[in-house]
Amino acid sequence: MSATRIEVKDLVVRYGDAVAVNGVSFTVGRGEHLTLLGPSGCGKTTTLRAIAGLEQPSSGSITIDGQAMFDAAARRNVPAEQRGVSMVFQSYAVWPHMSVYNNVAYGLRVRKQGAADIKANVERALDLVQMRHLADRAASKLSGGQQQRVALARAVAFSPTVVLFDEPLSNLDAKLRAEMRVELRELQRRLDITSVYVTHDQEEALAISDRVIVMNVGVIEQIGTPEEIYNRPKSRFVADFVGSANLIKGKATAPGLFEAEGGTILKTAGGTSGNEVAVRTAYIDLVAKPGDNQLPGTVRQRMFHGDFVQYIVECACGRLIVRRPPTNLLDEGAPVTLSFSPEHTVLLQG
Amino acid sequence: MTLLSGEMLRPRRNWQAIVTIAVVLIVSFLVLLPLVFLVEESLNIGDPLAFPPAQYGFANYLAIFEEDINVLWNTVIIAVMATVMAILIGFTLAWILTRTNVPGRETLERLMELPYYMTPLVGALAWSVIAGPKSGFINQVWKAWGGPGDLVDIYGHFGIAWVMALFEGTVAFVMISASMKSMDPALEESARVIGASKLRTTLTVTLPLVMPGVLGATLFVFAEMLGSFAAALVIGIPARIYVITTAIWDSTLSFPPDYGRASAMGLALFVVMFGMLTFYRWMIGRGNYATITGKAFRPRPMDMGRLAWVLFGVCALYVFLAVVLPIAALVFTSLQRFATVILSQAEFTLANYRTALSLGPVRTAMGNSLLLGFGVASVGVLIMAVLVWIIYRSQLVGRGAIEYLVMFPQAVPRLVFGLALLWAWLNIPVPIYGTLWLLALAYFTVMLPLGVRTLAGVVLQIDKSLEECARVCGAGWVYQMRSVTLPLLKPGIIAAWLLIFMACVRELGVSVFLMGPSAKVIAPSIVAAFASSGTELTAAMALIQTFTVIVALLILFRLTRGVTKEMT
Amino acid sequence: MKPFAVMGVALCALAGAAFAPAGAQNAKLCDKPRQMEGFKTCADIDKAKAEGAFVLYSTDPEQGQVKLLASFNKVFPEIKTSYVRLQAGALYAKVLSERQAKSYLVDVIQISDMGMILDFQRKGGFVQYISPEMAAFKPEYKSKPEGYWTWGSVIMAGIAYNSKNTAEAEAPKKWEDLLNPKWADAINVKVSNSGLQHGVWFMLKPLLGDDYFKKFAAQKPRAFDSYVQQYGRLVDGQDKVIMGAQYSGAVEFTAKGAPIGFVFPELGLPAVSETYGIVADGPHPNAGQLFMDWFLSPIGQKALADALALHSPREDVPPPPGALPLAKMKLLIPADWDAFEKDRPSFAKEWDRIVGARR
Repeated sequence: MSATRIEVKDLVVRYGDAVAVNGVSFTVGRGEHLTLLGPSGCGKTTTLRAIAGLEQPSSGSITIDGQAMFDAAARRNVPAEQRGVSMVFQSYAVWPHMSVYNNVAYGLRVRKQGAADIKANVERALDLVQMRHLADRAASKLSGGQQQRVALARAVAFSPTVVLFDEPLSNLDAKLRAEMRVELRELQRRLDITSVYVTHDQEEALAISDRVIVMNVGVIEQIGTPEEIYNRPKSRFVADFVGSANLIKGKATAPGLFEAEGGTILKTAGGTSGNEVAVRTAYIDLVAKPGDNQLPGTVRQRMFHGDFVQYIVECACGRLIVRRPPTNLLDEGAPVTLSFSPEHTVLLQG
Repeated sequence: MTLLSGEMLRPRRNWQAIVTIAVVLIVSFLVLLPLVFLVEESLNIGDPLAFPPAQYGFANYLAIFEEDINVLWNTVIIAVMATVMAILIGFTLAWILTRTNVPGRETLERLMELPYYMTPLVGALAWSVIAGPKSGFINQVWKAWGGPGDLVDIYGHFGIAWVMALFEGTVAFVMISASMKSMDPALEESARVIGASKLRTTLTVTLPLVMPGVLGATLFVFAEMLGSFAAALVIGIPARIYVITTAIWDSTLSFPPDYGRASAMGLALFVVMFGMLTFYRWMIGRGNYATITGKAFRPRPMDMGRLAWVLFGVCALYVFLAVVLPIAALVFTSLQRFATVILSQAEFTLANYRTALSLGPVRTAMGNSLLLGFGVASVGVLIMAVLVWIIYRSQLVGRGAIEYLVMFPQAVPRLVFGLALLWAWLNIPVPIYGTLWLLALAYFTVMLPLGVRTLAGVVLQIDKSLEECARVCGAGWVYQMRSVTLPLLKPGIIAAWLLIFMACVRELGVSVFLMGPSAKVIAPSIVAAFASSGTELTAAMALIQTFTVIVALLILFRLTRGVTKEMT
Repeated sequence: MKPFAVMGVALCALAGAAFAPAGAQNAKLCDKPRQMEGFKTCADIDKAKAEGAFVLYSTDPEQGQVKLLASFNKVFPEIKTSYVRLQAGALYAKVLSERQAKSYLVDVIQISDMGMILDFQRKGGFVQYISPEMAAFKPEYKSKPEGYWTWGSVIMAGIAYNSKNTAEAEAPKKWEDLLNPKWADAINVKVSNSGLQHGVWFMLKPLLGDDYFKKFAAQKPRAFDSYVQQYGRLVDGQDKVIMGAQYSGAVEFTAKGAPIGFVFPELGLPAVSETYGIVADGPHPNAGQLFMDWFLSPIGQKALADALALHSPREDVPPPPGALPLAKMKLLIPADWDAFEKDRPSFAKEWDRIVGARR
């Protein structure tokens, strides 16, 4: 049995004259949780919907479990209802005219399961999302969070192997979002589902994915594990979009050396070509360590974010943003020395 | 920041109060007073022309059930048949055009609007030519193929209902497609992704969700059908089938005119329509299946594959039956010396157009209608904008009452309202009866619901804070209206203007009672001319007027295209 | 002295009362009627031109009215004409309603039902204007005293059929022939509002018996508002026969080339008048008078004949082209117009029942 569940090759999707997805290729392995991450308009949702069969691509191919679902060359486009995947929508799309039970049972009924089997599966799915006690309630009378759970239960009730998620948490408030993230991950592991997940929230993407694909204006910027994406962004876009980073302009003069605009020489991790150095805000310390790049500067602004404090420090390399744990707060105007290790620098061609 | 003192605030409040009271009085005068006259006259069992009535009694109402019971029966049967057909047509077209990937969707949607531009009379006239017994087009073809007798006979209950449904179908289409468009497409997509076939999705998800909208449309259309006039006039009367509107019409056109009976029938019809529309508003208010989450949806159509072409055919068939065939039939008829579909006997001539151009309905009526359209739309829209602001944006105490009053004319069948105005202004000692002024007043009154509804839709989209900001900066109410509200309303104002203009130019029910020798307007004057002109001449008149109106509208659309793009 | 004074005053009052009701018994023919081209007029032409407009309400089909008014407008281009067309009953209802509203919109009315004319005269609706042209009309064709109303034309009713669809041998020859079941559901008539239809009823009922119309009802005739619709349906085959067919319609349609066969039943053709009169308090009184003079003259009457194929009561006006002259037809004209007037309500009720109209 192949380890690849989904294979997308050279996918192109057009809307009239605009190209939403411009040649995207990737694979999703069995049991993997892959996230498509990017700003709005980057084509991630379109790609997801193309996999579901809800969009008509112009060229390329999509294969699920070895079967070609879409193949432009062979003029083959299997309709959505025959692809055997499942999907959770951004607006939940819980049917208001049915009860919670009937919503969840829908996919089972379509598959013509017996009443006893349906009952068992529905209850199992509702248990997974802790909604069993609301089984008979009208779906129109649920709160947002409850609707989200029902949508999830509905999606997994018939034990699909592939579930697609279209920004399922974006309509929830921050706290609920954080909780649901954890639950989703749990669920996915427990049921061994292959999931393709779309979000614009990079924090979310990093937290729950096995691999992340960063997209921008219809193309893939980078594919990698969350750590890879975070620590070794391959482009300015990824560095800027994922996590919070400082971008220092200049020129790489020699392997390991970088001359910033303004003259400061920085030690980098290697590489000779690049005109920008990215340093994560979390990797800049206020306490000098031997071997680090050390930049004296002045605190210009302090913002207390609760879980962390953010300083804007003016130094020879410009204004750098630093995020530190929220202890030992510095006042605005205080002198400080910024310190970061060459390993934490990433050389980019901006 | 300078604070406004207490004294400076008070005059402003008084100003607004005065305006509200004035508005309430004026609108009541326009809307309610004629009906008061009508109620009084319906109780008149003495000389129908006497004012005030010499004797009061309920004889007129009782007589409806004694003598005119078959009129009531006809009205209900025809209205039910017509509603069922109109809803079927409207639903099918709405589903095809909003939920499937039928080719040429935009063009088809545009074409769906066409039947609305044709005055209702035109369709009735055309179909009497197409499906008349013995000599109608369809029967001629049938005979030529060797069929026995007549295949169709438009002169019957079903014929009247058919014509009404065909043209009222566009209204049903607009209402139902609005309800379908406001549905989150994800609701269907989630069913399909889970594995439900297109048919199953439609039956288990789409239909139940659209049902409230469809039911609302059914009620609305039924109420309209009860008050429908043109088809019953052209097709019903030769078939000796009277409905309540033609019975009212007939009562006033005999000697002696039976205004008492006409008023009683009109009020009976009004009460029924009022009841239905109240029920409709209650249903809409409930909105259990509120599927609107505040986001604008771009409904994503289902891919129907090859079936899409069949669906295209269905839409094309409707356009053919409602637009192409009638216009073709009328053109053909208007070019004949004597209206006959027997091609062997047909002689062609342009004389009908020459004569038509000399007759009142064309010469004076067109100018009057366009003038009234411009005038009422222009003045009306500004007044309605102020009304809308008062109802939805001000804090005035009486604004609920104003909203109710303003929407009231919708519950009154146009014909009945025309009768009420006729009777009221025959007896109010201001001699505007038979002049364009009375028509203007009547048009303004019956267009109030339309204009207010359109503008309200736009006003509600304007964030309150935009106006509040102006007030905080010190702008008086008038200045704020002028500098902030009205400019922001501009696209809505233009859309409302166009709608009112179109409605004025097509108007039949109200105008039919209020015309005078120098105050003729399009649709009613064709009705009048129809009685003493052959079909071929009437066809020529109807076509001249339809095309003039379409040309006028095209010009207007061109001029306002940029601004109204968002509205369409 | 006192009783005499009182009697004297009373006598004067009586005398005044005896002469007053006619209102303008004082009206007489003006001293110097102006001779225009083809007609004489007593109207003040300059005032009429200054008024600039003239409004006619008539029962004649619109295109005919337009032609007639166009002829008038040709002689007086400064006077713009407008009209309203309605069948007699509806027309009269409208006129009465307008007057009640004190809306005076019309100058001259033509109604084809003498009963309504007499009623209007009694209500003081007509202005008495003695036109120099009225001298040419026989006394039975105008009001007594003259000047209130005058017959503008005589219309008569026979039987019409489509000569292409029905052979002459098979066509009905007598009124009684119309009761033949072969004509069931194929006859059309005029609505009860029509003056001519009333005339047909009024004259034929005593001659053919009450039974006739009862049996006629079984033929399920269809009623229409004007002869244009009636003849139109004959031409396109929807109906086969017209009962009480207006002769002028047959002449008009035959002239246009339609295959119309017209029958003059031996019993006679019921006939009524199209009566014209100037309305009191009209908006353009001088124009109204001018029109009357022109219309009642041979010139105007000929214009009427050309526009609507109608017969003039005047003997010095030839019949419309293609039509038999009045003298050659056996016309059944009601003798007692008061009885005619009183007959209307029962006629309307019965006729509506026969044609399946509402009441």
